[in-house]
Amino acid sequence: MEEPIIKLRAIAKVYRVGVETIHALRGVDLSIGRNEMVAIMGKSGSGKSTLMNTLGCLDRPTSGEYWLGGRLVSAMKADELALVRNEEIGFVFQTFELLARQTALENVELPLLYSATGGGASARRKRALEALERVGLGGRVDHRPNQLSGGQKQRVAIARAILNNPRILMADEPTGNLDSATTAEILGLFSALHRAGQTVILVTHENDVAAHCQRVVRLFDGRILSDLPAEQDDEVAPHVPAARAMGAAA
Amino acid sequence: MRFGVFFVLKTVLMALSQIWANKTRSFLTALGIIVGVASVTAVIAALTGLKAKVLAEFESVGAARLYVFPNRPDNVPRSKIPWEKCRLSIEEARAIMEQCPSLKGVSPIVDVSMSVESDTELIEAMTVSGIWPAWHDAVGRKVLRGRPFSQIDTETARQVALVNEAAVEELKLDRDGNGGVGEHVLLGGRRFLVIGVVETLQARMMGMNSSQAEVFVPFSVAEKMLTGWYFMQFVALAKSPEVAEEAKAEIEYVMRRQRGLTRSDPDTFRVAAIDQYINQFKSLAAGVTAIAGGIVGISLLVGGIGIMNIMLVSVSERTREIGLRKAVGATSTAILLQFLLEAVTLTVLGGMVGLVVGKALALGLTFIPGANLEQADVPIWAVAVSLVFSAGVGVAFGMFPAIKASRLDPIEALRHE
Repeated sequence: MEEPIIKLRAIAKVYRVGVETIHALRGVDLSIGRNEMVAIMGKSGSGKSTLMNTLGCLDRPTSGEYWLGGRLVSAMKADELALVRNEEIGFVFQTFELLARQTALENVELPLLYSATGGGASARRKRALEALERVGLGGRVDHRPNQLSGGQKQRVAIARAILNNPRILMADEPTGNLDSATTAEILGLFSALHRAGQTVILVTHENDVAAHCQRVVRLFDGRILSDLPAEQDDEVAPHVPAARAMGAAA
Repeated sequence: MRFGVFFVLKTVLMALSQIWANKTRSFLTALGIIVGVASVTAVIAALTGLKAKVLAEFESVGAARLYVFPNRPDNVPRSKIPWEKCRLSIEEARAIMEQCPSLKGVSPIVDVSMSVESDTELIEAMTVSGIWPAWHDAVGRKVLRGRPFSQIDTETARQVALVNEAAVEELKLDRDGNGGVGEHVLLGGRRFLVIGVVETLQARMMGMNSSQAEVFVPFSVAEKMLTGWYFMQFVALAKSPEVAEEAKAEIEYVMRRQRGLTRSDPDTFRVAAIDQYINQFKSLAAGVTAIAGGIVGISLLVGGIGIMNIMLVSVSERTREIGLRKAVGATSTAILLQFLLEAVTLTVLGGMVGLVVGKALALGLTFIPGANLEQADVPIWAVAVSLVFSAGVGVAFGMFPAIKASRLDPIEALRHE
């Protein structure tokens, strides 16, 4: 079997807030293979945000090992992690996080500013234009965020995320600020990218969104509660309260 | 290379758009820098103009000229060295004339105050100077009309006088179109023939005289008219500016020997060369520059604090942006450089505006009548120094906000409201 892109081994994360100690992750083992489309679900406080930050190399685990594309990123220094984020991970956020004063094109180009291999100005522009074409925004390159709709803003954000052809496209509640029609459009775009070979991880608390994925990982209290193909997850979802009771007992 | 030209260019462009988006705020922030740079530029321009003017004046006076003054040494009680011991004597002038090989000529100048009278005018108290013929060469003043003093005038103590053009005017000597030559004047009641007219000195430096009128008589004549207090100095001309220093040493040697001063005695006279005045002026200018520099330093400090304040505001306003930049791969160093460059862009821009304002002020200075600042101009080095200083303020005061930005945790930053 092919080596998975992501391999987590006994990942734990402990925060200290004043005198209180918070166990955000209590030993997570997870493997995600190339070109999978995975949803990570869980209530707030379940540890899904911490897991996403860890997977996205924004945060380092307290203990455990994280292998990304065969490299042990859990042992990397801050600057090395920045490089990994730049080259191997694309982020999409709920609130888009576009720079208000920059055009769509300039927003998409942003990661190249921090890349060692960005090439010249025209090469950068060409890559950014290609990324915008891929998300269907080829005609709006010179628009500023305030001239774009919510769905278009998220497309710009997705173009920015896929610009460097990342190993993982990571989206945190990407449809949380969108209406249902636009949500369907954006999820369609993620599916299209997935079909084109992109590995996608969606963090969400909406079952509808998770339903677009092949595989659903549910977290509860810092542990993986279930990790099932989407079709089977449908059966689990209604029973979450029961599952929570089970998790609490464990 | 991670932070290449593209990174710098892009960052500066972003900083400019940031500054443009907050025009009023940026302007007010940079005001301290603008005022600081404008004032230093104007002060330097004024000093440059003054220096050019003064040096040109010294130049025209001649670098080969030396003056000898009586001078009581510092830190010696008045009783120990009375004025009589310091006062110059005509024997000393003769000794200098005979014994100093580097000198082309020397002349005493003795100033006597007396009444001066022409046929129609009377000036009650006027300084009349007694001189040797060598004076013409030593001070570089030729006669315009008539003839200069001759050795015979001195030796026979002839009652002849030279006047300058201002005196011709004030005494109304030019009545029959001969420009004053051949007229008679009464000096202290004695009748003198005006044998020549010399040029009037243009506005002497440091305002040493109010009336421009001058009357000269042979030294031997003036000597006889001396009553009580008088002031005598010598003016000497070295053979060339290059030997001015040697001439000065020779005069000092002759004077000390003439006065019988032993090794431990201090000089009771002073020999001044023009370059001494130049040096004096230069040190004065340096002093003014230092004071101006201090004032500018303070205004740049105030400006810098303004910059720091606004950059801290900017960092906190753009916390999410910083989080995003880190999420897409910006290292802490990249964020640090970015905010530092932004502060530097702001201060350098302020410095440029300040230079323009300073240049305008310098231009304004040139129109102040009588201020001797016609040549006020901003030298290139001042432009460079101003810009380097502005950038330095940007780096110094932008550092703390930039470090703060670079240390933000991306997760926290993205969560920031």
